[in-house]
Formats: sequence, structure tokens, C-alpha cells
Amino acid sequence: MVPLGAYVGLGLFMFTMGMIGVMIRRNPIVIFMCIELMLNAVNLTFLAFARYGPVTPAKAVVGTIPHNVLQTAMSGQVIVIFVMAVAAAEVAVGLGIIMAIFRLRQSIDIDEMSLLRG
Amino acid sequence: MGSSTNSLIWIILGLPLAGSLIQALFGKRVIDSMGVAKGRRVMGTLAVLPIAIAFVLGVIVTLALSNLAPEARSQIVTLCDWIHIQTLNVPFETLIDPLSMTMVLVITGVGALIHLYATGYMGEEQDYSRFFTYLNLFISCMLILVLANNLVLMFIGWEGVGLCSYLLIAFWYKDVANAKAGNKAFIVNRIGDWGLTLGMFLIFSFYATHAGEFGAPKDGRWLSYDYILPAATKLILYPDTATAIALLLFIGACGKSAQFPLYFWLPDAMAGPTPVSALIHAATMVTAGVFMVNRMHVFYELSPFASAVVCCIGAFTALFAALIAFGQTDIKKVLAYSTVSQLGFMFVACGAGAYWAGMFHVVTHAFFKACLFLGSGAVIYAMAHNQDMRNYGNLYKYLKITAWTMLIATLAIAGFPGLSGFWSKEAILGAAIGNQHAIAQGINLGMISGYVALFVAMLTAWYMARLAMLTFFGKQERWRQIHPHHESHAHHAAHEHAHTHHGEDVFGFYYTEEEMARRAADTPAEHHHELDLNHEPHEVPPSMWWPLVILAALSAVGGFLLHNNEAFRNWLYPEGKLAVLTQSVVPGEASNIPLTLYSIIAALGGLTIGYLVYRKGLPKKEGWDLNKWSPFRKWAGNQFGYDAAVVNSGVEGGGEIGTGIWKILDVGLVDGIVNGIGAVAMGAGRTLRKMQTGYVRNYAMSMTFGGILILAIVISVFMAGAK
Repeated sequence: MVPLGAYVGLGLFMFTMGMIGVMIRRNPIVIFMCIELMLNAVNLTFLAFARYGPVTPAKAVVGTIPHNVLQTAMSGQVIVIFVMAVAAAEVAVGLGIIMAIFRLRQSIDIDEMSLLRG
Repeated sequence: MGSSTNSLIWIILGLPLAGSLIQALFGKRVIDSMGVAKGRRVMGTLAVLPIAIAFVLGVIVTLALSNLAPEARSQIVTLCDWIHIQTLNVPFETLIDPLSMTMVLVITGVGALIHLYATGYMGEEQDYSRFFTYLNLFISCMLILVLANNLVLMFIGWEGVGLCSYLLIAFWYKDVANAKAGNKAFIVNRIGDWGLTLGMFLIFSFYATHAGEFGAPKDGRWLSYDYILPAATKLILYPDTATAIALLLFIGACGKSAQFPLYFWLPDAMAGPTPVSALIHAATMVTAGVFMVNRMHVFYELSPFASAVVCCIGAFTALFAALIAFGQTDIKKVLAYSTVSQLGFMFVACGAGAYWAGMFHVVTHAFFKACLFLGSGAVIYAMAHNQDMRNYGNLYKYLKITAWTMLIATLAIAGFPGLSGFWSKEAILGAAIGNQHAIAQGINLGMISGYVALFVAMLTAWYMARLAMLTFFGKQERWRQIHPHHESHAHHAAHEHAHTHHGEDVFGFYYTEEEMARRAADTPAEHHHELDLNHEPHEVPPSMWWPLVILAALSAVGGFLLHNNEAFRNWLYPEGKLAVLTQSVVPGEASNIPLTLYSIIAALGGLTIGYLVYRKGLPKKEGWDLNKWSPFRKWAGNQFGYDAAVVNSGVEGGGEIGTGIWKILDVGLVDGIVNGIGAVAMGAGRTLRKMQTGYVRNYAMSMTFGGILILAIVISVFMAGAK
């Protein structure tokens, strides 16, 4: 069985890649992809901890574990569904904004959008 | 005295005020609707009448007062409550006693004559009713000053006459020099008022803190004379306080009565119309200081030191101003310095403890100096408003009445035997030399002042002879030799410039088109013709020479009538009226000096010298060419540099100090703090602004590092908690 550390390591790697990507890339589409990467890294760790945690749905024998503990173990997996839904909504909105900007300026270079410079 | 005559005092007070209101509210309308000549005659009558009626009523009240026993001649008449704060009560009350009624008669009597004169003198004036508004208001303020029965009410009158003086000096305000002269008079008087108010505060606070000894007044009337003055005798235990009060009050008197350190506003006050100079700056207002010292005489009786100071200041001022008078060529300026000098005489008397003699000189001086000023006004009127004596000469030929009346007044002020000035100066000199009151450090400064005053009496006769000779006598008719560049008078310059260009006059005031048109139409009426080679002087109209005749008659005989049987002294200060001093020495009686002889020699000597020097007309060394003047005369003409020194050090120096303080404290410190705070905020903003780059990557980076930081903190806290 693949050890927990591998999942966590992979998640860390993906998150770092995404973070660096957000910071250094200039194309907003790519930045979105990097954000997705970061979200998925987090999703991966959620799932890994949910699977490898002290109580997991798979190990549980129905009736021996109190109901609330079982719910706690499930929450790690449920949050992943939430995150994916939120990410999808975010992408929809974000892409809309990018389209609007593109129509306005014929360019989507993120460094050109610095009107709030002090 | 019945209450019927007592209540007349309110009519006396109210009449001039009502007259002033009538002039102010209806004057312009009446003159506009009735035509200039008729309207001015009506308003002129309405200006003279209240004062004349007030004089008649004043005579009635005075007669009623004189029928009372000497001890009962002090009637308090209260009109209403005025200031009533807890235990302090200052009612609107008047004191009818010989001192106040003497002043009332002088103010309304001489005032009515001068009003009558002014109706003629100001006949050509545009702002006719404005002039009489101020003049009537002045009379009512002056009456409040002398009739008040408490210090606060007196102070109202004191400030009121100062205000009217300011308004009337600057009456022709279109000329900046006149406006500045008004300001000078007002501002210099503030210095005197500072002393006067401090004296009042000191009286009040000292009495209030020593209420156990002095006894609290009935009804809380802490500032009323009938409480202050009798209680003041207890100050004999506190001589330093008495001295302080006397000196502080004297500072006020110095300002109002133009004594040495503060005299220099009075010569400039001659910028006002001549009737104003006669009424305010010779006969009445400037004697308010002498009146006040008389009213407060108890404090001066208790303080020989303060009395010595009063004597010295008076004598020095008399000498100083008399010397300056020799260097003056403007006829009104000579009279102005003469007034300052004569006021010095009055203070010599007050300092020596002969308060009645000071008041005596106030009265006689009111007669002859008003006559002299009005006479000089008649001369100025006849000479097309030229005031320089170097342009006069031989005017006796043209102005017989003016010349005779002025001559009598000149002899009176010079102390010619038998005329009024002789009696009053005699009383002053006798008291100053004979009395033993004004002694400081064992030196009888009163006596020294008396001898100085005797010398000044000689100088007075001399410079007055100079004035009379240069104006009325000699064969030269010097205005016939005028060169154009001698035209040195800026009096009407402002009127001529008043319509130079559209919308804006010479002083930068803007007017509408209609206003400008109206002003242009008015200007010819105000434009007097200048003195020229072919000028023929004419005698003034009767409304102007009648007052001269009456005043000259009073100058001639008034002194003798008042002095006869010591009438005036017994009227003002009967036996036992003085709190501490014994009654002053009668001149020539107690002292073994032949004083009468001395003063006759001084008067006649001065007159003779003056006659001899000026009998041939204007000497070369006093002519138009200032380079030929002797250095001393030139120096005297410049007030020995005193005025310039005060203006340079006080005004300019004060300005420098003010500028310095402004630069250091205001600009340096206050503005520094305010601007410094602003600069710090701006600097912080300018620096922190750089963080807002507008690049998404930078925000992302700061979020990242911020997140890492928070994470690090949380972890370290948990780790610490775990241990």
C-alpha cells in the first residue's frame, strides 16, 4: 500500500508548483490552472488523511463506532466535493471576467492590469 | 434741594443724547428734503439747542445745590439697576456735587458756544449732520463721565469721549493722515486706560479683601464714590497701596490729559475740525484727567510720593511742551502744545494738594483756550483753510473782532494781571511753592515744580506773543508773497482725487456708477479755494464771532469773579472737605515770597520779549527755509525727537518684535508642529505607497508569505503548548 507520506509529499509538491505558478505566470488562464493545481493538492491531502486517519469508513464495523466519530471521518471526503464545486463556480466567474477584460483591452496580460498601483 | 431739581439731571444727560440721535436718524433726510442751506440751518439749530437747554438746566441744578449747606452738597440720584451680580451692585446713578456741576456747566456752557460756532464753521461741510451727531454724542458721554457716581459708569463716559474724540479727529477720514491721527489718539489712550482700569481693579479687590476693616457698602455698591472715598481714609495704614492706586489712576489721567509719556497724540489730534480741537482737545475731554484726580483726591492726599510724581510729570510736561511750541509754525499746533503745557500746570496744582487750583485752571483754561482755538479757526476760515502762521501777518486789519477776542485770550493765558489766567496760575504757583505735600525722599518736589512752572509761565507769555504777533500784527501780509511750492497743505487733497478713475477711488474703494456720478457732482461743493496772492480775508459770520466775544469776556473777568473771596475754592473744597491735608495755602499769604510780583514779571517779561522779537514780522531764521533755523528750534519743532523715538521704538520696534514672535512661535513652532505631523503622514504614505504595485503576483506573494508567517506562529504556539 502506498504510504501516507507519499500522498502528502505529492500534495505538497503540487501546491508549491501551483503557488509558484500563480506568482510568476502572466497569463490568467495559466494562473487559473495553477490555482486549480493548488486546490487539487489540498483535495489530495484531504482524501489521504480521510483514508489513513484513525477511523475510516472502510475499517468501521457498523454499530461499533459512535455515529459522530463516523461523521468526522466522512467530512474529509465531503469537503473535497465542496472544494470541487466551489472551484468550478470560481472558474466560471473567473473566465467570464477574463473574457470581459479581453474584449475591453484586446489583451489579457496580467501585468498590464495594474491600475491600482499606488 | 427738592427731588424736582434732582431729576432735572436726567434731562441734562438725555438732551445731548437725543440731539445726537436726531442728527443721526433725521439729519440727512431733513437736509435733503429742505434744501442744503435751510436744512443745515434747521439741523444746526437742533444741534445747538439741546446743549444750550442742558446748560440752563445745569444752572438751575447748580443754584439749587448752592442753596444747601456745604455738608449736604452731595446728592446721589439713582435711575435704575444696571449691573447686579450677587454681592456686587453697580446702579446707574449720578452724583450731584460742586465738582461735577462745575464740570457740567463748563461742558454745556462752553460746549453750546462751540456748537454755535461750529454751525458756521462747518457750514460748507458735506457730512454736516454726521459732525453734529458725533459732537452731541461727545457732550452726552462727557456728562456721563463727570456725573457718574461710580467708577464703572465713569469709565463708560471715559471711553465714550475717547471714541468721540477718535471719530472727530478722523472726521475727514478720506485723508489717510487724519485717519492715522485718529488711530494714534485712540491707541495711545488705550495705554492710559490700562492704568485706569488696573487702578479700579486694585481699589475693588483691596477693599473686598479688607472688607473687615473697610466695612462692606450698603446694597453691595462696591464701586460707588460714596463708599470708596470715605473708606479710603483707612488706607492711611496701607501707604503703599494708596501710592499704587494713585499712580495707576494717574497713568489713566496721563493718557486722557496728554501728560508727558503719553502726550504725543494731542498735537496730531489737531487734524480734526477746529471746533473739535476747541471743545474736546482743549476745553473738556483733556481735562477729564484733572477732574478724575480731583474726584479721587483722597488717594493722592494719602500718598505724598504719588503726589510728587504727579507734580514732576506736570512740571516737566509744561516745560517740554512750551519749548516745543516755539518750533511750531502751524497755528493750531502751537495751541495744541500750549494745551499740553497748561494741562501740566493743572497737574502741578493737583500734585501739590491744591486740587481746587487745578480745577480753577480747568475752568479758566476752558474759557481762554476755547476762545483761542475758535479764534484760530476764524483765522483759518478767513485764510482759505491755510494754517501756517508764516502765511499770515497784519490780519488785524481784516479781522477786527477775531483779533481783539484772541488778543484778550492771549493775554489771559499769558497771565496778564487781572485776567482769568493770572488768577488761576497764581493759585497754582502759590500752592505748588507754598505747600508741603509733594515730598519724596525729603525733597520738596512740589516746590521745585512750582518754580519750573513759574519759568514756563514766562515761556507761555513768550510763545503766545509770538503767535499773536505773527498772525495779527506786523506790516507784512505774507500770503501775498506765497510761492507755489509753499503750498503744503494736503487737507483737501482727498476730495480732489476722489473721482480720478472709474469705479475705484484713491484708497482702493469701489463704488457703483451712480455712486461715482453722485460723488463727482458733490465734489465741487467740497472744493475750497486755495490761499493765493490776491486773497482778501473777511471777518467771519456772527454765528462764529458771537461765541468768540462771549468767551473773550469770560477769559477777561471769569477768573476774577471766581477767585473773588475765594469763592471757587470754598465752593469745591469747603473746610473739612479734604480728608488728610489741611487747606492749601492762599498764594502770597503764608509763603513769604513775593509770588504775585514774580508771576507779573514772568507774564509781562514773556510778552515783552515776544513783542520785541516778532514786532517786525517773521524773522528770517524762522521762515520757510528750514536750513536757516537755529538747531534748537528745529529740534524743538520735532518734539525733541520724542515722537519719532516713540514711533520708531514703540510702533516700528513693536512691529519688529511682533514679526519676530510671529516668525519664531507661529511660523516656527506652531506651524512646525502642524506641518511636521503632516510631513510624517505624507512621508509614511509615500513610502508605504510603493507596496501597492498593482501587480497581482506581488499580492499573491505577500499572501503566501503572510500565510506562511501565520502558519509558523500557529505551529510555534501549538508546539509550545504541547511541551
